[in-house]
Amino acid sequence: MARARDRTEDFKDAVRHSARSLGYDEAKLASVMASFIIHKPPQRSPFSKAALKTLESIGELEEFLSKHRKDYMDLHRTTEKERDSIEHEVSVFVKTCQEQIDVLKNSINQEEETSKGWLGITTSKANADTIAHKHGVVLILSEKLHSVSAQFDKLRAVRFQEAINRAMPRRKLNRLTKKDSIETPKSDDVELGEPSELHNEPLRVQQQLLDDETRALQVELSNLLDTVQETETKMVEMSALNHLVSTHVLQQAQQIEHLYEQAVEATKNVELGNKELSQAIQRNSSSRTFLILFLFLNVHRETRTRNLFIEYGETMPFELLLIG
Amino acid sequence: MSLNLRQKQTECIARMLNLNQPINASSTTANEEVYKILIYDRFCQNILSPLIHVKDLRKHGVTLYFLIDKDRNPVHDVPAVYFVQPTPNNINRILSDASRSLYHSFHLNFSTSIPRPLLENLASGTLASDSIQRISKVHDQYLEFITLEDNLFSLADKSCFVQLNDPSAGDREIEGIVEKVVNGLFCVLATLAIVPIIRCPRGGPAEMVASALDQRLRDHLLSKNNLFSEAGNFVSSFQRPVLCIFDRNFELAVAIQHDFRYRPLVHDVLGLRLNRLNVQGEKGGMRSYELDSSDPFWAANGSLEFPAVAEEIETQLNKYKKDVDEVNKRTGGTHGAEFDGTDLIGNTKHLMNAVNSLPELTERKQVIDKHTNIATTLLSEIKQRALNNYVKTENAMMRGTLEWKDLLGVLKGPGTKMDKLRFAILYLISSETINQSEVDTVEAALRESEVDTAAFQYVKKIKALNASFASANSASRSNIVDWAEKLYGQSISAVTAGVKNLLSGDKQLALARAVEALIEGRPNPEIDSYLIFDPRAPKSGSGTSSSHLKGPFKEAIVFMIGGGNYVEYCSLQELSQQQQPPKHIIYGATELLTGVDFVEQLTVLGQKMGLGNVASTSSAQ
Repeated sequence: MARARDRTEDFKDAVRHSARSLGYDEAKLASVMASFIIHKPPQRSPFSKAALKTLESIGELEEFLSKHRKDYMDLHRTTEKERDSIEHEVSVFVKTCQEQIDVLKNSINQEEETSKGWLGITTSKANADTIAHKHGVVLILSEKLHSVSAQFDKLRAVRFQEAINRAMPRRKLNRLTKKDSIETPKSDDVELGEPSELHNEPLRVQQQLLDDETRALQVELSNLLDTVQETETKMVEMSALNHLVSTHVLQQAQQIEHLYEQAVEATKNVELGNKELSQAIQRNSSSRTFLILFLFLNVHRETRTRNLFIEYGETMPFELLLIG
Repeated sequence: MSLNLRQKQTECIARMLNLNQPINASSTTANEEVYKILIYDRFCQNILSPLIHVKDLRKHGVTLYFLIDKDRNPVHDVPAVYFVQPTPNNINRILSDASRSLYHSFHLNFSTSIPRPLLENLASGTLASDSIQRISKVHDQYLEFITLEDNLFSLADKSCFVQLNDPSAGDREIEGIVEKVVNGLFCVLATLAIVPIIRCPRGGPAEMVASALDQRLRDHLLSKNNLFSEAGNFVSSFQRPVLCIFDRNFELAVAIQHDFRYRPLVHDVLGLRLNRLNVQGEKGGMRSYELDSSDPFWAANGSLEFPAVAEEIETQLNKYKKDVDEVNKRTGGTHGAEFDGTDLIGNTKHLMNAVNSLPELTERKQVIDKHTNIATTLLSEIKQRALNNYVKTENAMMRGTLEWKDLLGVLKGPGTKMDKLRFAILYLISSETINQSEVDTVEAALRESEVDTAAFQYVKKIKALNASFASANSASRSNIVDWAEKLYGQSISAVTAGVKNLLSGDKQLALARAVEALIEGRPNPEIDSYLIFDPRAPKSGSGTSSSHLKGPFKEAIVFMIGGGNYVEYCSLQELSQQQQPPKHIIYGATELLTGVDFVEQLTVLGQKMGLGNVASTSSAQ
């Protein structure tokens, strides 16, 4: 692969050079050079510490998965119970990681609110970029968690598929064996019937009755077995489908929630808008009446003054007429 | 080992984002510095955008990304990765950021080698503001080029053609441009980690760039930790590729002509830039599409002619509809059919398959929609400008089978001013002898359509110059070389040669033919005069033409100074497929220009020479 050129040494040389030219003495120069080699450990905020811890736990989850993957997949290594326990552990782990991520998210939102609460004066700690960075960190963590759980889901889907496959041939086999088993007693009966015919009649009748009963019971039981097995396979299928649908729903759950919140906000806005509109209409109508009143009053006043002049026009002195 | 430039560049960038530590895929321990902030400048943003998407950035642990010129707020206890060009402006910004202690540590990555004075500037600045401890590392990434596809790159060097052919350009400016081009090429070679054998035609910018690049490679190989030491084992020539450098003047027609293949058409008509395209959608809004090798339709059908592309979209759409119907039938989604008891298990399986295949189907539908949209926009433009007519007549013109009345008909017909100007210039280039009366008629027709004829005049003048010394003593090579060296970029002595070959009926470009000859390595009168440079060979041996340096090559890098376009790219890809066995050709240029852009540059040159159309100043620009 192509290499990039490390110019840090050149940079250090340049630093040494300019330090000398600026007149730094030996001690200062030594401390400056030392700062290159010894880096101060960063002061981590509690947020970053928590984020790193969550990252570690997700890493552990991945390791756990990769270790037990073979055990889980191979049919002969583990029993069903062990597989169930592995699934259970993984889901618990995933839940704890999810909780940790939620805690981080809540802490960001809390910080945002407290910083806004101080009349919009934000402290130096909580500025837009830092908040965006924290959101980014949370996003990265949740994406990582999703990818790990998606891996596990794939394994689970394969396991379900195999379970279904196993159920199907078993059913077919059972059907065939059942048919055989039903066939053979019948043939046995016919054989048994003949030699004992010459012997005690009443015993034979009783025996036959018993035989009939047992046969009926057998048929009933085998039918029951059939239906039970059918239900079993149906249950397995349903759980597989359920699991499939639930993964998809979970993926979309967040988006659906977001959409819902936006819809609620939109309805609120529309209501406010309606209120404003009705207010505006009211004002419009009231202003119209006011305007009409005003105009009417003006016109009325004018007509009145004119009438006045017409009335007293003859008797009024000439000068006052001019003033009107 | 086929060279995949895009993959190599992506790897370098991934490594840079990992703070220049080797990417350890199996490391599960939480790296202390796993969250970082990326800061870039405009040029580097153009480099990054065709390669990485925003969501991929998060996979590398980048939480935020900013432009260096934006005002930024401090984010403590997080390292910052800077990916910028080494300019004084950027250095000042870095100094101010460091003095304000915006981030915990600074990892500086420069897209090319940072020159010594700037480094000292940086050092003294950080010393003065006492923020030395913030600077963690300084790296030269050698990534100053834009990779658009696996084998297509550009140096984003604007107006290179104008600057090189500017009659008023002095020596210093030309040298500056050559230096920039050499720098870009050096970055490409450093990323591929190969030292090729360089071949170029004599004279002009190609020779200057080739010799400068050769010198630079030689100097670099002598330094102790050179970037090519990994490839030191491959000394035999057929492992080394050949780098062919050409100048735009070698073949002007390709940059101007109208082409009907999908990729050049989209680039020319709709303006494809950095693999992004903005198209007017059906609902009236502007949609932005991304067209690169991850789009299966684009990758498969980029070189088809437009009618074939439309048919292909149809077939894909029908196939998609059929698949959707099948899925619906299997799961009973359309009619709500009753479920048969015995068929239940089969249905479940079908249901699961259907649900799993849904995302793939939606993706296919999106791709089909995108290309249908693009095709409809293209079609309306083509109809409006009668582009198919232009393409047909231009092809006929190149072959010499064009009727005079057809030519005039096209000039007076529909089409934008630029289309007519391009057509007229192609006529100039394709005609062997200059028939003055015809040229005057063409010019008059152009003026009637209110077209700014500066570019036309420019090409006419160049051709006249060309004809004057071509007729003087065309047989003597040295004469042409002298002339060529005097007029740096104005030697299109090969234009007539190139066009003559075009007229030989084959649609192959002169460039493709030259590259083919260079790859095959058989003696060929066209390319025998080309110079050879081998940076690895000792200085004394560079004069002799050792046979192994000319031998057949498996891979080639073709570089066009002054601007390239998708037509050449498509032709070179066809050439590489036709070879037995298929060879690998990477194509690059100083920038990718549409026909319109190139004619604009010719117009600027014409105006600089004072050949502008005085009468039509009102209609210009």
